[in-house]
Formats: sequence, C-alpha cells, structure tokens
Amino acid sequence: MKKITLKITINGRKHTLRIDPNLRLLDLLRDELRLTGTKEGCGIGECGACTVILDGRAVNACLILAGQCNGREVVTIEGLTGKDDLHPLQQAFIDHGAVQCGFCTPGMIMSAAALLDQNPTPTEEDIREAISGNLCRCTGYTQIVEAIQAVADDN
Amino acid sequence: MIPFNLVRAESLEEALDLLDRQPPDVKIIAGGTDLLVELRSLSPREKGPGIVLDITPIDELKGIEDNGSTITIGPLTTHREIAASPIIREHAPLLSTACSTIGATQHRNIATIGGNVINGSPAADSVPALIVLDAEAVFKSKNGERVSPLKEIFVKPYRTDIKEDEILTALRFERLPEGARSSFIKLGRRNALAISRMNIAVIIVLEGNTIVEARISPGSATPLPDRIKAAEKILIGNEPSEELFRRAGKEVSGEMINRSGIRWSTPYKQPVIAALTTRALREAVEKR
Ligand SMILES: Cc1cc2nc3c(=O)[nH]c(=O)nc-3n(C[C@H](O)[C@H](O)[C@H](O)COP(=O)(O)OP(=O)(O)OC[C@H]3O[C@@H](n4cnc5c(N)ncnc54)[C@H](O)[C@@H]3O)c2cc1C
Ligand code: FES
Ligand code: FES
Repeated sequence: MKKITLKITINGRKHTLRIDPNLRLLDLLRDELRLTGTKEGCGIGECGACTVILDGRAVNACLILAGQCNGREVVTIEGLTGKDDLHPLQQAFIDHGAVQCGFCTPGMIMSAAALLDQNPTPTEEDIREAISGNLCRCTGYTQIVEAIQAVADDN
Repeated sequence: MIPFNLVRAESLEEALDLLDRQPPDVKIIAGGTDLLVELRSLSPREKGPGIVLDITPIDELKGIEDNGSTITIGPLTTHREIAASPIIREHAPLLSTACSTIGATQHRNIATIGGNVINGSPAADSVPALIVLDAEAVFKSKNGERVSPLKEIFVKPYRTDIKEDEILTALRFERLPEGARSSFIKLGRRNALAISRMNIAVIIVLEGNTIVEARISPGSATPLPDRIKAAEKILIGNEPSEELFRRAGKEVSGEMINRSGIRWSTPYKQPVIAALTTRALREAVEKR
C-alpha cells in the first residue's frame, strides 16, 4: 500500500496528513487523531453511531474513505462546542433524559445538528426522518425527539 | 479493511486512462455505501481490488441537466440531490420519490444514482423508476462511447454488462409527456425487514378519461428489472377503474411467478406486489 496525502479540515483545524489508502474516515478520526467521541457500532452503515458532518451534511464515517475527504471539512461531536460549555443540543439531551448508555448519543446529536443547520424549525416528522438512520438501544426515541424539538423551539 | 491503493481521479480522462491500463485490478468507488460494505466483508486472505479508483472529484459526472426534452443525470448525483431537484420533481416526480426512500439521510447525502444502478441489486430503488422512464445508460471508455437502454445492462442480480474499462457517465430519459401521471411506492421505509423491500413504479398517460399509455415496473420481484408489458396491455384503451387496476395488479404478480418461480417468499410476495401495483395506479390517477 502506498500512503497518500490528505488535506482535511477537522473541527476548524487544518491538517495535512500521510495516511494509509484503505483508512475509513472513522479510523482516521478515532485511531489517528484520537477523536474517540465518534463511535463505531456496526461498521456497515446501519446504526449511525459514526455520524459526522461532512461539508455541512450528516454522513456515516464508516462508509467513506478518509482519502475521499481531501479538501473537505469535517465536524465531529468534539467540534460542536467550545472548551467548556455544552452545545444546546448536548444540554437538551441531558435535560430531557435522552441519554442512557450514551453510545448512540454523539451520532444522534450530529444528525440533529445537521438537521437544525439546514432547517432551524423542523416538524416532528422532519426530526424523526433526520434521525431515522440512528439506532438507540436504550433510551427510546421519544426523549431524543423531545430534546431536539426543544432546541428547535428556541430557534 | 483489506489493503488496496487509492487513486483519486481529477478528470474523466485520467480515470479512463487508468482503467485502460490496468482493467482487472481496479474497482471504482463513488459514494462507497455498497462498495465499502463489500470490501469490509472480505477477509485478509481474500483478494480485493489492487486499486480503488475514486471518481468523486470528477465534476463532469455530477448534476442534472434538462434541455427541454431530455433530462440527463450525472452518475455521481446523490439521492438527496435527485430527491430535491426541481427538474426531477416536475418532469419525473416518481424518480424523486424513489430516491427519497433510499436508506437514511446519511446514505442519501453521499450515495449516488450511478452506484445504485451499477451495483445491480434487484432491490435498488431508483432502478424501477428509471426503467419506466425508459432511461438510457451512457458508458465511456478510452475507445469511445456506448449507449444502451438501461433495461438491457442487467445480466443477473448484482451484475451488469459494464466492461472493465468503462465508466457509467450518464443516465438520461425523456421528460414525461403532458397528461402523464406517475407513482412510486416502496413497502417499508427502512431495510430492517429485508423481505419487504418490494417496490413498484408506474406511469400512465391519459387522453380524456382513456389510458393511452402505461408503463409498470416492480422492484425486488423479478430477477432482472423490466416492464411488465402484459399488465400494461390490460390498462391501455380503458378507463381507469378499481376493477381494472386490480386486474393489472394480478397480472404483475402472475408475471413475477412466471419469471422467478415459486419460492419460500412467494405466498407473501404474490398478494403484496398485486396490492402495491393497484395502489400505485390508483395514486397515479388521483394525483393532479
Ligand atoms: C444501511 C444501508 C441502507 C441502504 N438502503 C438502501 C435502500 O433503501 N434502497 C437502495 O436502493 N439502496 C440502499 N442501499 C444501498 C446503497 O446505498 C445504494 O445502492 C447506493 O446508491 C450506492 O451508491 P454509491 O455511490 O454509494 O455506490 P458505491 O458503493 O460507490 O458503488 C457501487 C458499485 O457501483 C460501481 N460504480 C459506482 N459508480 C460507478 C460509475 N459511475 N461507473 C461505473 N461503476 C460505478 C462501483 O464500482 C461499485 O461496484 C443501502 C445501503 C446501506 C449501507
Ligand atoms: S458504525 Fe457507521 S453506521 Fe454503524
Ligand atoms: S443511549 Fe444507549 S444506545 Fe442510545
């Protein structure tokens, strides 16, 4: 395997990296850059735990090669906030009891953040559609939808 | 993930050059939502592609064009873009609907129509819509261009007749004529229930209250994507009615059994595809 050069902006920081060509975006984030907020559940696009925002849109980081992100901009859960304060979505998830084990939470929040960037005043149907690719095994979706709705209502 | 090298093509010419030089060893990647699942399932001992060729930087393979009669879609156009396109919503609304049902938001944001077609799954949702639109596929290689009716590229499930040195460069079809109505219905929005991935695409053209043209294509029902001409014939020359649509639905399910044989899933699929067809025809007539 020949290493390739990757120029990529992650959470506002520009990187120039030499990477293996078979690395997924998920591997780059977790293993190379230690941004372990992004989770790997299924690895085959079914669970949404690996959701990040690529050029403004939610994508599964397990289904895209890092090398395909040259010149592009990625936001992960770590990039949603400043150092101390929580993003309104993160606070709302806590307030509405939308987190239990937390494994799905980063992906859920990134899907919700992408939705609210595109559509600040979504309907409940829009919210359910936006997180339909994110599975949660614990909380139940009602609290999650309520948390997102609460942030939307403040918009 | 098995090892491979990655080549990022900046132009169609560069991609075709590479395919021309090393055909058997190269695998094209677009959105990667089928390919990466496939590569991930290979064990380290299995042989993968030596080179993965990323065509996503090639701008000329993206976007939707309408020249007033023919609509041309670049293979790298994503399902999200097609679902949202004003051109497609106006002149081929059933394709917009079909693409909006594919996977979840995360998939539609990167998965492409070209990948959906070339992957060749009998459950590919854009395909029945493209088939009733009588779409053509355009392929390019170093040696020139090849145009084929879309229907004819499918050889068997998960296999098309694309040559090793070719790239799918466009999908194109005529705008729906005045008076045409269309519908696409998919059973089960998500793929959690694998058996229920059936879908149906229909177009009917009315003159006054008489059906003068009909095109019907079911997905996940026949081994190869196709129109069901026998069911279309039942409709042509008649006025829309519930009874007529039921007969057409029965014909589609009968034809499914003729082509696929009786399988373990037949007792389920037979009434379902008949009912889906009837519902799609009803919905098409009620629209507009
Ligand atoms: C969780 C999940 C859910 C899904 N749900 C659905 C669904 O509901 N409906 C549905 O239809 N599909 C579904 N899919 C399948 C997949 O997302 C689609 O088939 C998608 O359109 C594939 O496009 P892609 O760009 O990702 O293709 P890729 O994976 O990049 O490519 C697929 C194949 O096509 C070839 N290829 C791609 N572009 C070209 C080209 N221009 N020229 C030549 N060859 C090319 C590649 O070499 C590869 O063999 C789902 C997938 C996942 C993982
Ligand atoms: S880990 Fe990517 S969708 Fe499950
Ligand atoms: S909180 Fe445990 S999976 Fe969602």
